[in-house]
This record gives sequence, structure tokens and C-alpha cells, in this order.
Amino acid sequence: MLDVPIERHALGNGLRVILSRDPTAPIVAVNLWYDVGSKHEKPGKTGFAHLFEHMMFQGTATVDKGQHFSLIQAAGGTLNATTWLDRTNYFDTLPAHELELALWLEADRMANLLPAMTQEKLDNQRDVVKNERRWSVDNQPYGSWDERMQALVYPEGHPYHHSTIGSMEDLSAASLDDVGEFFATYYAPNNAVLTIAGGFEADDALCMVERHFGAIPRNAALPAPPDMTVEPILGEQLRETVPDQVPLPRIYLSHRIPVFGTDEFDALDVAADVLGAGRASRLYASLVREQQLAQDASVFAFPIVGGASMFALWVTARQGVTAERLESALRSEIDRLASEGPSEEDLERVRNLRSAQGAGMLERIAERADRLSMYACLFDEPERIQGEVARYRAVDAGRVRDALQASIHDRNRLTLTYVPAEAAP
Amino acid sequence: MIARPPAAAPRPYRFPNFSRQRLDNGLSVWLVPLPERELVSVHLLTDAGAAAEDEPQAGIAALTAQLLVTGTQRLDAAAFAETTERLGIEVSSESSWDSARAGFVALGEHLEAGLALLAEMIRTPRLDDGEFDRLRAERLNDILQARADPGRLADEGFIRELYAEGVPYGRVSAGSPETVGSLTVDDARAFHAGRYAPDRAHLILAGALDEAAALTSIERQLGDWHGAATGHRTIEPRTRGGRRVVLVDRPGSVQSELRVGHLGIDRHDPRLFPATVMAALLGGVFGSRLNLKLREELGYTYGARCSFDPRRAAGPFTTTAAVQTEVTADAIRELLGQLDRMRNEAPGEAELAEVRDFLIGVFPLRFETTAGVAGAIEPLAVYGLPDDYWQTYRERIEAVDIAAVQSVARDLVRPDEALILLTGDASRVRNELERAAFGPLEVIPAP
Repeated sequence: MLDVPIERHALGNGLRVILSRDPTAPIVAVNLWYDVGSKHEKPGKTGFAHLFEHMMFQGTATVDKGQHFSLIQAAGGTLNATTWLDRTNYFDTLPAHELELALWLEADRMANLLPAMTQEKLDNQRDVVKNERRWSVDNQPYGSWDERMQALVYPEGHPYHHSTIGSMEDLSAASLDDVGEFFATYYAPNNAVLTIAGGFEADDALCMVERHFGAIPRNAALPAPPDMTVEPILGEQLRETVPDQVPLPRIYLSHRIPVFGTDEFDALDVAADVLGAGRASRLYASLVREQQLAQDASVFAFPIVGGASMFALWVTARQGVTAERLESALRSEIDRLASEGPSEEDLERVRNLRSAQGAGMLERIAERADRLSMYACLFDEPERIQGEVARYRAVDAGRVRDALQASIHDRNRLTLTYVPAEAAP
Repeated sequence: MIARPPAAAPRPYRFPNFSRQRLDNGLSVWLVPLPERELVSVHLLTDAGAAAEDEPQAGIAALTAQLLVTGTQRLDAAAFAETTERLGIEVSSESSWDSARAGFVALGEHLEAGLALLAEMIRTPRLDDGEFDRLRAERLNDILQARADPGRLADEGFIRELYAEGVPYGRVSAGSPETVGSLTVDDARAFHAGRYAPDRAHLILAGALDEAAALTSIERQLGDWHGAATGHRTIEPRTRGGRRVVLVDRPGSVQSELRVGHLGIDRHDPRLFPATVMAALLGGVFGSRLNLKLREELGYTYGARCSFDPRRAAGPFTTTAAVQTEVTADAIRELLGQLDRMRNEAPGEAELAEVRDFLIGVFPLRFETTAGVAGAIEPLAVYGLPDDYWQTYRERIEAVDIAAVQSVARDLVRPDEALILLTGDASRVRNELERAAFGPLEVIPAP
């Protein structure tokens, strides 16, 4: 495994700066993680963190609407942003000689967004985001799964109880005042991590960062982080059946598990791959290839850090297979792994798959920058990137078995079953 | 606007050097050594895409490609999956219209072992009837899933209604329910025997490799592979023609999935470069005319775009947007308006410069990964493009001027003969579509 070069710096206003030089790279990635996600939203404001992310592309006192995209793309770059439960990230990747352009644009919107904000822009992006919701959730077969899963796995009032995309009513209610308050609260240099990765000289880059970000005032009154406390397991079995416009039943299971960054999470990350990664995985081999009950199988441990994370599985039934039969076969595979633990062959397989994936991640400058920002933002420890494959490889069979027995069982399980609706609504 | 900061001197970037040789059995080998990489990508291309199948067997190319990864004569499906994945390798095998591609990405230390398994898979696949039946059933289930998905429903409806009866491009390359349902493992065995052969095949390696060692290894694994492939047929891309509206009724839809377009261009069309620039300007980048109008001005959609799909024969030119049900007719009107405007209004110098600079400047980003570099060799191999294709790519984009864009827009954007296909709730959009009179309207149920 190659070592990732890491230099940590901080500006006087609290902006954390991570540099990762790759002198051979013809490109450079600029990546910002703001420590704000949908978990920071207030009641009645679901979806706002993501809507706000859209507003960050609507122009500033300095740069017109649309110009951020135009300038980066005309420089031969790509860019985007995403919002999730814990954070919002903004990323620009461009030819190395245009580094300062991206830094200037990111600093400009961190400093100068509000003077150019208008009701018209908000109304426009509200419509865009509502269409994003229709496209990804409301008009999509099985599209409501993550929203339903979060609502059932986390209790009312918990910051993970609602989805990042938010509800239509709350999106309708978002106001310009909300934009102003959210910006003033969370879009401050001392609430962000800036990572630069790729082809650049450290001294030059630091000068540019100081020049563009140095004068942005910190928020001296950052709010305390939300209370993420939650019981470690559900304590019961929850079931919900969802009639939907789908031709094939699909079963989602979800469990509360220890958060990303813990040893138990690493063990469940390995368990997820033993069950679901590749054609030799337990679920593919058994449910898809041998018993031919399922069309597909996926398993995923959510890398989130507040209170409890989720370990989710989903399988789609083949035509003619009932949800009950598939669920019982699925549970017996999970239970077998939990009682016996993985074999040495299982472990060798998933470790080598992960090593190759780790190398694939590092060969993409933008991905490297994003992971550095993630580790800095969530753990204040960007160096975690060095050990991520090693931590995974260090998980042994006993740890997988123990972690499964502690969390992946009926007293901690949501079963969400999508079934074909009898008739269209 | 305050002036943007100046750019530093550009770092020189050129597409990596590669070597190309033909083995005695006809296999073309393309090697792209990329120093300081941990990974190597291997792509084996055969003339075994959907264009190489007989129409009554539509879907056999896709099923055969998928069947290959279910084991070899030596290793059954479970053993083949375990053996490859224990090397950290996930072998892929899939087909498109113009080729089939099998391959993998691996740490450089596993190149030799991976190549041996890939060669074994291509030369002596198991082609087991139980696995074939399973994959065919999965494909039929996938067809059911596609019918519930409004975007896939619209994609499939668009090509079905665009091309004339009997033209293969009127269906997805993976085949239709009628043809897939009747396929047998013997069809797959015959397809493999007739189409997977070295004389028309290309092996591309990019990344962590030593050229001499790689060649030795390739000679050992594939040098004594023999045979000649039947090759592909020539597809005549006739369309039904004429402007019309087809509404695929999907009750309960809260959005209408729009597909608007007509016949596009083939891979050897001399207008490919101006067409690429024009399509980027019209609907290929965030700041394109379609996206700015339908998303950033009107808020009708999460995104609007357009693209050509050049194949050996002409694939479609398609504009795409999922719009809120309530504004369906307005969105179509605006979309058609942008197609008219593309024909009638020359781009400004700055507007053109922005997309041209993007296509030229984004070059090093496209080829960042070993898979990206190997993928860039594919069109050279499949379509026989000149070896200097990527070396001259940027200057050919640079040469596209306003006149060239306008000329190609007038040739290749033809709203008057566009098929307007949408999936949506007919009870909510039919009346306004009738009133809007974009063309003769046909309402059909979802399959």
C-alpha cells in the first residue's frame, strides 16, 4: 500500500487545511467538508441542508449565478457537491495549473454568498430540489426505502430520524431567512476542512489559501453538536410492509450498529463484504446462484458517526418467489455467519478485494481528497486514511462473529418488505 | 465580476504512449505501461456484441457474455468466483452493440494470475445449462423491473418507436422478452464458438506492467488460441420518421420522463467533432442551454441533457429530462424551443469557448485511472481509429468554430421530425398534450 503524503495546517480563523502532494499528477483536487448535514436540521426544516447546498451554486456578490460551474468547466475541471446525514462536501477537480481558480471560487462563496441571495433563486432551486425528490424517491420503484428505514431505526426526534432529501412540506416552507441563518451558523471557516490533493507546491498552495480564505471571519458561536444519543439496539423486531408500484418483492433489513470509526464497525464492514461483495459472497452464492430465490443481494454498513450507524441488507425476489420464503433464506444465511463466523477463505477473499479497492480509491485524486476531508472532519485525524485497509485486514473471524452476535439479530431488526400493489393508486 | 485569478503555466499532458502488435493468431495486443501505478486494467474485446447476433436470437450476445463468468471447464461457478476474488479480482464480462468486453482491474502483482484466469474463461468456458437458465431468468426478471422504472421505460419506448420495424436498434442490446425467452444454452455455445476468436479480438493492458513480461505472459496464455470469428452484420438504421408524440401511460407518476429526438450519427461520421462540441453546448455540461433553461431558469426538472450515441451505424440523438407532471407540455415546448434555437441562433464566442475549453482541458481528468486509459484505447480497437486519435483530439476540438457548430446544428438537430416520447400519468397530461398539438398523439399502456 502506498503511503498518502499528508500535511496539516490551520489558518487563524480556524480553517483546517490538509495538503496531499502528488508531484507527478497533472491535476489537482480541491475538496471542502462542512461539518453540517441533515442531522443539524431543525424540526420542520427537513431537507434544508441539501437545499442550501444548491444555493451555494447560485452566485455571490462577486460571481454570477452559474459562473462557478462555467469557470471550472472552462478550465477543464469537474465539480459538484453532495449532502448527507453528517456533512456537506464540495469538490472541484481541475488541471493542476488552475488550482487558484478553485480556491478563489470556494473562498468567495464561503465569504460572499448572502448579498446576492434572492427569493427568485430560492424558489427556482426549491423547484429543482422537489424535482430531485420526485425523480429519486417519489417516482422511483422502491424509492422511499432509506427514508422509511431511517424513520423506523431512529426514534422520533433523533437527528437521523428524517431523510436528507426532506419532505415536500418542509421544502415549501424554507425561507430566505433560513438561508441567511444557516449560512451564518454553519458556513464558517472554523466549521470546515479544506483538502488539496494532487500536483501543486505546498508553499504556493498555502499562500493561495491564506490569500483567499484568510480574511473570512470565524463563527465565534458555533452551536453545540446535536444530541445523537440513542439506545445501542432497537430492543425489538419492527416490521413494515409497503405496497408499491413494483413487479418484484424486495426485502430490506436494517439494524443499529456501533458507529463508523469503531472496531466493531470495522468488523461489521468485513461482515457486510463476506455476505454481499462479489459473486463468491454468501448471499450471492446461496440466494442468487444456488437457491435462485433472489435477483440480487446488497449489504452495506453506513459510514455515519452519530449515536448509532446502520447495517442494512436488501434482496430482490425472483418472480414467483414469495417475500416470506426469501426472508427466511436470507435470515438463515445471516444467522449461519453469526454463529459460525467467517472462514479463513472468506476473510482472504474480502481482504484482497478491499486492498484492490483501496488502491483504486487512491489512484483517483478527488477520492483521495474526499477521504482526507472526511477523516479530518469526522475524527480530526486525516492520518486515518493510511490505516484504513490495514484496519480492515486486521479484523479476524472472532471479531466478525462477536459483532454480528451483538447487533445483527431479531431484537435489533427492522424488516421492510416492498410488495407489488394490487392495482395502481 | 472581479477577475478570476490567473492560471499558472499549464503542466504538459499528453495521452500515454502505447504499443500495438498482432500475434500470429491475429490477436491485437495494446500495451500502455503507466509508471508508478499499483493497478493494471485488462480489457479483452471481441466482435461478439449485439451486432454480431442473428435477430431471432436477440439477447444471446449479452447472455453469453454474462455466462462466461460462471466458470470454466476446470472450475465451476463457485470455484471460479472464489479463485478470482481471492486474488482481489472481480472479473466482468458484458456486451454492447459493437463489441463484448471481458476484463478486470488488479494489483500489478496479480496480473499474471488474472490473465491466466481470463484466458481460461474465454477459451474454455463452462457454458453450463443450469447457469444459463438462471441468467436467462434473471434477464427476464430484469425486463419486469425495467417496466416499473419510468426512466428505463422511457428509454426503451423511445428507441422502439424511433426505429422502423425490424431494425435491431429498436430494442435494447440485451434483447426483448420474446427472444430472450426462447434462447437455449446451445445458442450460447454456438455464439461463443462462432464469435469469440482471436482474429478480430483486441487485448488492452494499461497500468502497472512491464512490457516484455506482459507480452511473454500474453503469448503463453493466448498465443495458441486459434479460430476465426464470424463477425458482425451491417445494421441499416432506418427510422419511422415524422414528428409525433407517444405517451406511455404510467398511472400515478408524479413526473413525466421525456425523451425527444431522432436519428443521430455513426462513429465514422466526419461531423463527429463539431457534433460533440454542439451537443455539449446544447445539453452536455451544467451550463448547457437545455439545463440552464429547464432547470436553472424554470425549475421544471433536476436536469436536462442531450447526447449522440454513435455506433458502427447511427444510434439516436436524444434529449432527456424528467419533469414535474404539472408542467409536462410547457417543458416539451421549452425543450423544442431550445432545439430550434440551436439551429437558428449561432453560439456566442464565449459560449463556444467555454465548452471547447472544457472538452480540451478535461483531458487529463478523463485518463486519470488505469481503467480510463484502457477504455480510451477501446474505440481505436473497435472502430479502427488512427493511433494518433487522442494525440490529435484536442486540436480537432479546437478547430471547431462558430460556423462549424451552426452548420452541424442545422444538419443534426431536427425538431420538425423529432419523436416526442414520454412516460407519465395519461389521466393528468393527455389533455394538455392534445391542446399543445406538438404532433399526432398516441397513448399506449406500459407493457
